[in-house]
Amino acid sequence: MKRFVIGITLSSVVASTLLGVQDDALEVKQLRQEMNELKQMMFELKRSNEKLTGYTEKDAVSASSEREFSKLKSTVEEMKTELEGNSKSGFQLAGYAAFDWTDAQGADNEFSGVKFAPIFHYQYGQIFQFEGELEFISQDNGEVETELEYAAGTLFLNDYMGLQMGKFLSPLGQYVQNLHPSWINKLPSNPLGFGHDGAAPTSNVGIALRGGLPQVADIRSNYVVFVSNAPTYGVADDGDVVIDASGKTTASDVSKTWGGRFAVNPVAGMEIGVSGAIGKAAEGITVGADTFNIARDYDAYGFDIMYNANGFDFKAEHIEQHIGENSASALEGGKWRARYAQASYQFTSLKIEPVLRYSDYHNPEQEKNQWAVGVNYLFANNVIAKLAYEYNTDEDDDAVSSSANDNRVLAQFAFGF
Amino acid sequence: MKNIMKSFTVVAFVLLNLSINVSASEEKKASSVNGAQVWADTCMRCHNLRAPEDLSKRAWKYSMQHMRVRAGLTGKETRDVLAFILESKTTEDAK
Repeated sequence: MKRFVIGITLSSVVASTLLGVQDDALEVKQLRQEMNELKQMMFELKRSNEKLTGYTEKDAVSASSEREFSKLKSTVEEMKTELEGNSKSGFQLAGYAAFDWTDAQGADNEFSGVKFAPIFHYQYGQIFQFEGELEFISQDNGEVETELEYAAGTLFLNDYMGLQMGKFLSPLGQYVQNLHPSWINKLPSNPLGFGHDGAAPTSNVGIALRGGLPQVADIRSNYVVFVSNAPTYGVADDGDVVIDASGKTTASDVSKTWGGRFAVNPVAGMEIGVSGAIGKAAEGITVGADTFNIARDYDAYGFDIMYNANGFDFKAEHIEQHIGENSASALEGGKWRARYAQASYQFTSLKIEPVLRYSDYHNPEQEKNQWAVGVNYLFANNVIAKLAYEYNTDEDDDAVSSSANDNRVLAQFAFGF
Repeated sequence: MKNIMKSFTVVAFVLLNLSINVSASEEKKASSVNGAQVWADTCMRCHNLRAPEDLSKRAWKYSMQHMRVRAGLTGKETRDVLAFILESKTTEDAK
C-alpha cells in the first residue's frame, strides 16, 4: 500500500514537471515571436525615417569618415606649423632707430641726428645664439659713421652658463650694455661720460662666461666674468687725453684685461650690481722713427642700481677707470669718473612720462655736470617722442668761445623693433 | 688684485660647471606661472614692456634667447617667460 502511494506521488510530480516545461517552451516561442515583430517594426521605422530625412546609414558612415579626415588633416597642418616654428635654426632682425632735433644756446636749431641700429639674432636650437648690432649714424658733413657695436656668439653650456665669444658690450655697469638704445633711454642724450671716449668702457673683444644663478632664499642673481684685449690710452684727434675702452682686435703688446660683474635682485623690480676690471692699457709711444706700445696700469670699477615699481623708475650708476703713471710717457695718469641718477614716472593712462636726471663727468682735464629734465609721450611702449632741456656746466671751461656751458633743448623720436 | 680676479674666474667656472648636474636633473618643462613672475620682476627694470602681440611666436623665441644674455636669466627662467608670453598672445600668427 505504502509503495502504491509513493508511486502515485512520484507520477504526479513528473507529470506536473513535464507540463511546466511545456508551458515554458510555449512562453519562449511567444517571446521570440514578439521580438521578431519588434525587429520588423524597428526596421520599418528606420526606413520611414530615412525616407523622411534622406539620411541613410551609409551617409552616417561617410560623414564620420569625413570628420575623421578633416581632423587628421588639421592635425597634420598643426604638426607642420609646429615643426617649422621649432626648426632648429633661424634668425630675427630687431633693433632701433632715432631722429634728433637740437636747439643749443648760441647756435641755430637743427635736425641734429639720424641713427639706425639693426640687430641681427641667429639661433641654433637651445645651444647657440649669435647677436650683432651695427650702428649707422648720419654725420654733420653728410657722411655716415658705421660702427660694429657688438658681434658675439654665445654657446649655452647649461641653464646657468653661456660662453660668449667675440665683441660684446662692456659688462661693467648697466647703462652701456642694457640702457643705451634710444627707445630704452628715457632722455634724448646719454648721461655725461657714458658715451664713446667717456669714463664708462663701451665694449670688449674677448670671451666671457655669463648667466643667471640658481635662486638662494628666493633671491635671483646673475654674473659675468670676462677676459679681453686691453684698452688704449692716448691723445684723441680733438686733443683730449682719452682711455679708448672700445673692443679692439689687437693685444697691443700688453696683458689682457680681466673683469666681471655680479648683480642681485633682492626684491621684485630691483637690481644692484658691482663690477670691476683690471689689467694694462696700451699707450703708443714714438721715439725717433720707431713707434711702440708701453703698458700703463689700468683698473675700473662700478656700482649700479635699478628699481621699477608701479610706473616709478629709478636708475643710478657710478663708474670709474684709472690709468697709472709711467715715466716713459709724457702723459700723466689719472681718474676718469662718470655717474648719474635718474627718476621717472609713467602716467600709463595719459601715456606721458616725466624724467629728471643728474649726471657728472670728471677726468684730469674736465669737471662737468648736467641736469636734464624731460617729458616723453608713448605712442606705444616702443614708439616714443621725447622733449628735454639740459643745463650744462663745465667748471674748467669758462672761455667765452666755448660751448661747454651751453644749455640745450633736445627732441627725439625713437622706436624699437 | 689680478690674481684674485683670476682665482675668482676659475672658482666661478668650476662652481658653475658643477651646476650642469643640477641643471640636468631639474624640471625642464616651462612654467608660465613662474614666467609671469620673472617677466613682471625683470623686464620693466630696463625697458617698457612689449606686448605679446608685438612679435610673432618665432620672433619671441629669438628675442627671449637674446634677453637671456642681456638680463642674466637662467635657461629655465627664459623658457618660463617665453611660455607665459606665448600663452598670453591673443592673436594668431599669419601662416
